[in-house]
Amino acid sequence: MINFINPSKIFKWIEKLLNFINSIFFIILIVGLTFALIISPPDYLQGDSVRIMYVHVPSAWISLASFTCIALLSILTFLFKVKNLNLISKSIAPIGLLFTILAIVTGSLWGKPTWGTWWAWDARLTSMIVLLLFYIFFILSQKMIKNEDRANKISGLIAIIGIINIPIIKYSVDWWSTLHQPKSINLLSGSSSIHSSMLLPLSLMLLVLLLYCALIFLMKYKTEIIRIKRKNIKRL
Amino acid sequence: MIQNLIFMNGYGFFVWLSFAITLLACVIVYYKTYRTLQKYEKAFAKELKNLSAQERKKVLEKSKVAVQVFASYNKSI
Repeated sequence: MINFINPSKIFKWIEKLLNFINSIFFIILIVGLTFALIISPPDYLQGDSVRIMYVHVPSAWISLASFTCIALLSILTFLFKVKNLNLISKSIAPIGLLFTILAIVTGSLWGKPTWGTWWAWDARLTSMIVLLLFYIFFILSQKMIKNEDRANKISGLIAIIGIINIPIIKYSVDWWSTLHQPKSINLLSGSSSIHSSMLLPLSLMLLVLLLYCALIFLMKYKTEIIRIKRKNIKRL
Repeated sequence: MIQNLIFMNGYGFFVWLSFAITLLACVIVYYKTYRTLQKYEKAFAKELKNLSAQERKKVLEKSKVAVQVFASYNKSI
């Protein structure tokens, strides 16, 4: 397993994966946007504003999934001392930050026509702001602390503390009375209250954004590997 | 049809702005990430080139990553 995540072994696959994703990305993007903006029907209650869901919901899912990955990788790093896992965490963090910001901004744009306000300090929105802060602290600790081992330890600790916020975000709509609607899709049981005419564009847009995440992650990871190799050359 | 697509029954501003912000942010992050990768690849290949032949041979024998970066750099010039 540890041999499998050896950067030298992964490196040669990164280029191939990047080329593959680049070749299919635009086709899926155009299909996804066509479904999201043209083909999918308006909601009976929210009208066309429901189309914001196709960027807002995948962004929120990715932001939560990214932080969960970072926290799990940090726990594994503390347990098994595999340095490569830090490189993976570092490469995921900017993606998580980007999609957290997008989830908040598009959520605000959806909130205005639906709730009549851009922002409300309710449980879901506030816990998303807390997630954003955890991402910022994680990235800043990596950038500001010069000693790499120390930076990895502190950022890992931030991620492990921050994981407490993930179930709070997920269940905030059930635990507290909020403006935010309760969950429409249960990923664990695979059940959904969304009609297939809206579920398809949502799935397509999720695929588009996941492919985009893969592109950014692979480029970031490649950059991190090269940075480490450059350091080794300087030691010669 | 086109008017309906643009105005979306009064929700056009919110819908289009959401998609535009998402697209723009994604393009900016992609461009920045791509440029940083290119910068690191170039710098790494240059450092390899500046090594003495013996040192370079030693590095290239040890690191598959160095071989690939050096090869793609030589191809690009």
